[in-house]
Amino acid sequence: MDVPVWHAGLEQLEKDGKVAVVAIVEEQHPDRARLFLQWKQIDWPTLADPLDLLNLETVPLTLAIDEYGIVRFSELPMSAAKTIEQTFVNQTYPKPAALPPADTPDLSALRAATTRNTADAWRAYGDALSVSGTAGTWDAVIGAYQHAAQLEPGAGATQFRLGSAFRTRYDSPARRPTDFQDAERHWAQALAIDPNRYIWRRRVQQYGPHLPTPEPFFDWIRDARAQIASRGETPLALAAEPGDSEYATPGAGFVAANVPATEPDPRGRIRRDRGEFVSVETAAVPSTVSPGDTVRVHMTFRPNVRTKAHWNNEVDPLVYWLRPPRAWKVDRRSGAVPNAPTAVSQEARTVEFEVTAPETQAPGAIAIPGYALYYVCEDVNGVCMYRRRDVNVPLEVTATPKETKR
Amino acid sequence: MRFTLAWLLSTAVAIGALAAGTVDQSKPKPIWARNAPLPRGFNVGEAFPTRALRSAVDGRPVSVADFRGKKLIINIFASW
Repeated sequence: MDVPVWHAGLEQLEKDGKVAVVAIVEEQHPDRARLFLQWKQIDWPTLADPLDLLNLETVPLTLAIDEYGIVRFSELPMSAAKTIEQTFVNQTYPKPAALPPADTPDLSALRAATTRNTADAWRAYGDALSVSGTAGTWDAVIGAYQHAAQLEPGAGATQFRLGSAFRTRYDSPARRPTDFQDAERHWAQALAIDPNRYIWRRRVQQYGPHLPTPEPFFDWIRDARAQIASRGETPLALAAEPGDSEYATPGAGFVAANVPATEPDPRGRIRRDRGEFVSVETAAVPSTVSPGDTVRVHMTFRPNVRTKAHWNNEVDPLVYWLRPPRAWKVDRRSGAVPNAPTAVSQEARTVEFEVTAPETQAPGAIAIPGYALYYVCEDVNGVCMYRRRDVNVPLEVTATPKETKR
Repeated sequence: MRFTLAWLLSTAVAIGALAAGTVDQSKPKPIWARNAPLPRGFNVGEAFPTRALRSAVDGRPVSVADFRGKKLIINIFASW
């Protein structure tokens, strides 16, 4: 990470008003980068580019821009932080004859342009909507990119932006149960179109099977929170906590406590919840699996808001049990999600596991059956229950290996 | 493959870290090579893109052009 190096090299120049630093964050959840900056006590203005609107292939990238907006140095190495005062800050640059104006998109003009029904027009409208901050935007952003993708399915940037828009809506109150899986599907399509895009590849890896050599994604968050708290500050809250796949090393929340050693309800005698109290959604990353290969499954249980359902935390935690088809391997056939520290709670509970297809598996659709057992209460009649939720994790087996996994 | 002393030591440290269930966060991550030229607006002599992005703090649209009049260092990164 080169950010602390640049901070150390530029701090005094910033204080002296000789240079300003702007951070641009190329990740799905920009608030994690803000937490990183809080940890390192760096106060740079920070812009978010979760959809890769800048169309960059990889990060990090450091540039020096003169007072007129012209790039004077690109791809600066970390070592340049020591010499930047002489090589750039103290230099004088000529004023260009004309400067491009700040880009303030005219949404109604861009909307009108979509009547031409071209992929470019729809993508430009989606791009502008995605930064406009308008209420209810993500439905419209997704709609615009879907139009663009339909007209030009081979445009990787559109597929990636569509995937990121789905994931952003998934992390918002407007989320739909299929958003996460749709996000992954479009990211995978983007990467299949251009496998050299490291930012896109990392987005797929972020939620996919653990890599053979674990390269940390967000393991630093634990240290950051502890050190920020030890300074007497409150760590910035994250809109979406990293899941198991986003850590190289499992955290305390994933410690296998209360994991059933034997099947907890082999005869199916526990009364079913068919979605009245808890909904379930699954997402496989990547969305398809080839014979002998592995996907990571995210299985999320959410208390039903309509019935004001909530977890009863004064009893055993949610446990799950999987019944993979013969010759299919699952790394965590059973597991448990720890209860929240309060008596009741309504948080989403996610379990993750990796599934490996047999080498001899024929292409086609297949399901990994299983179920979860949990204690849930509903506020309508104030009743608490022990329920079983049956789950079928749908997977699609493809004949050819995909390039998106590593 | 030549098994140098340095290679053996670094491998032993890596295996030790994995065995301990930890990943050494202090080591710099590999910098990924770029495969294609940088897009327009990122090369020397070009005007940096004025496209608005969302502020990571409050979500309002902000353009790098809003910072004109000052010399700027732009650091594009991800925390992963």
